[in-house]
Amino acid sequence: MEILDVRHIEKHFDDTPVLTDISFSLEEGQALSIIGSSGSGKTTLLRCLNFLERPDKGIIAVKGETLFDAADPKTQLEEEIRTKRLHFGLVFQNFNLFPQYTALQNVTLARELLAKEQGGESRESILAAGKDLLAQMGLSDRADHYPHQLSGGQQQRVAIARALALHPDILCFDEPTSALDPELTGEVLRVIRELAEHKTTMIIVTHEMAFARDVADQVIFMDGGVIVEQGNPKEVIDHPKEERTKQFLARYSEK
Amino acid sequence: MHIFLTVTGALNEGFLQTLKLFVITLIGAVPLGLVVSFGSMSRFTPLRWLTRTVVWIIRGTPLMLQLIIIYYIPGRLLPENPWPSGEAGRFLASAVAFIINYACYFSEIYRGGIQGVPAGQQEAGMVLGMTRRQIFFKVTLLQMVKRIVPPMSNEIITLVKDTSIARIISYQEVIWAGYAFLKSSHGYAGLIWPLFFTGVYYLLFTGVLTLFFGWVERKLDYFR
Repeated sequence: MEILDVRHIEKHFDDTPVLTDISFSLEEGQALSIIGSSGSGKTTLLRCLNFLERPDKGIIAVKGETLFDAADPKTQLEEEIRTKRLHFGLVFQNFNLFPQYTALQNVTLARELLAKEQGGESRESILAAGKDLLAQMGLSDRADHYPHQLSGGQQQRVAIARALALHPDILCFDEPTSALDPELTGEVLRVIRELAEHKTTMIIVTHEMAFARDVADQVIFMDGGVIVEQGNPKEVIDHPKEERTKQFLARYSEK
Repeated sequence: MHIFLTVTGALNEGFLQTLKLFVITLIGAVPLGLVVSFGSMSRFTPLRWLTRTVVWIIRGTPLMLQLIIIYYIPGRLLPENPWPSGEAGRFLASAVAFIINYACYFSEIYRGGIQGVPAGQQEAGMVLGMTRRQIFFKVTLLQMVKRIVPPMSNEIITLVKDTSIARIISYQEVIWAGYAFLKSSHGYAGLIWPLFFTGVYYLLFTGVLTLFFGWVERKLDYFR
């Protein structure tokens, strides 16, 4: 089943075009990797999906429901944008954990606030779910630690648990290992791999080519704000057709 | 011994006035400063410029001058002096001048505190579906408080000593009380040591404040 449909997204910062005519779709349970050099618009695209940026043109639809249509102001009301964001989760490059809360509190805070607002879930069940998520991330013994007491890899896993706590339809990763020491990337990639095995719908912006190929069902290569090539990983990463893709991948294999 | 008791009694009275002005200034300026800081960060340009101009004027001129203007000018412009007569009027005028002055200083400290919290914190709250209000109170506020404790403690300790400026309109704070013994007070004249002795009051009080702010800093030390 198609879960995400992105059509003709465009975004400018002042006069500089950052995204031009971006269209793609994603099936439920699939993982999409977005690769490309810095400044190619990958991060901006993720930020558009999470409504941290407003596209100037285009449509974003989840499960057949149009969440955002640049041509229709009714889809852009501040109140509704907030709840629409809940369709997406976002894991940031530099974690952005809340420093004054423990790992567990980071995971449960948003859900507790939502429960307070809408009623329903008890505090106990939210806490239990939070502990389960941390266990899933291999962090049961770190639940009461504050972010500054955790390694980068552990912080990023807490951030993943925090994003999962709200059961987003689509979980987005913005270069989740770029801020980590090389020896810490493995533990984060492993967790994302497990999520892929459990059929979590994901969009992963990454510079880890091998990881992108292994984990993704679909790969998009972006350059200069446009999608240059998309397809399954074997096509795009192993047998790229476009010259720009080849050049980009060649630079990576040299490293 | 009798002199000492008389003098400390008079100085205690003066220091009570000092404390009164100190406390009322904090009560007024701490929240007013937040309003001013929001003004100076407003996306509405005229409001931002107006606020920043006011802050510039208040921070750019001596508090003593502001106090004199606030105390003496209304009575000359208006048909009736808005300040009550005697010590009550001097206290009120001092409070108004000090609150405005310190709100402007505090506002800049707040602004630094708010803008010092990384934008990623707010964005993390947004993608988790929090409202602006929830983000401010549950995420940003405590991080901001932690950032502003050292500059605020500095400013508040300065305020303790700045209260002596109110003496310029004869507000009877502790320096005024000490100086009185040089001229004539409680049957004594020509005593200079009571004036110097007021320093002990300031030292003790700022000592207590230093300990208090150190405690607050330690309380907030559990996160970074």
